[in-house]
Amino acid sequence: MLTNIWNNIIEWFKDRSEKAQLIRSFNDSAKNAFITNQAPTLLKAKISKGEKSYRHQFSNWLNTGFRIQAFSGRQLSKEEIKQIGEVILNDNILVRRLIVLGWDTLEIHGDKGNYGLRWQLKDYIALPQ
Amino acid sequence: MNDTLFTDTIKATSEVVTKTDAATTNSINYWMWIAILELVIIVLLILSRKKPDSKKELFKREAKQGDIDFGNIINSSFHVKPLYDELKVKCHPDRFPNDIEKNKIALAIFQEISKNKTNYKKLIELKELAKQKLNINF
Repeated sequence: MLTNIWNNIIEWFKDRSEKAQLIRSFNDSAKNAFITNQAPTLLKAKISKGEKSYRHQFSNWLNTGFRIQAFSGRQLSKEEIKQIGEVILNDNILVRRLIVLGWDTLEIHGDKGNYGLRWQLKDYIALPQ
Repeated sequence: MNDTLFTDTIKATSEVVTKTDAATTNSINYWMWIAILELVIIVLLILSRKKPDSKKELFKREAKQGDIDFGNIINSSFHVKPLYDELKVKCHPDRFPNDIEKNKIALAIFQEISKNKTNYKKLIELKELAKQKLNINF
């Protein structure tokens, strides 16, 4: 039992560190792409509250949303948001990583307007029973 | 008189020093053993880390392997759609009805294109392949 608690504590710290690292890597890549003019819009990832009904067995207790904000200076169309979402959801390695690190919701929205899209991550990967 | 007082003072002082020293030594020993015990527990816990046995733990371990190409993901988010639209038209197998060999290659490339329609890097590779094998001018 003590070993189990100890393992959980270590895993929790490890996961927190990996989550922060993943967000940092995403933001660094997005920033570089924007600076070098490879991407017309700056993307920024952060942790959000998430959607409770999307929970799965790896979900964290709190803050289970992976939110990407697109700083385009205008309201993004549904197709543009969908495109970004599909690219992320079709990357199996990324979706798996997001799931095991405790995220269950992918949210994408722009910096103008109130429109955004939200996906349930567990729909895109077969999780162990 | 003074000598007696002096001797008594020295005696009393040495007794106090001896007692304090003994008390301090005992105290140090006590805390030292607690520290050693804690160290042993920590070392044992670190060494006895559980190996992944359940499916959940194995899945987690596997999912943490492999690198994520964030640069490709960012590029794909903005540039993949026009490239995919171009490739799916130019590499369609129906464009090679008379040449069976090219038709087969085009079919294989077209299937790969459909499978990787949101992966910019892979589509660029397939574009190069189509240029070489199908002689398509983009």
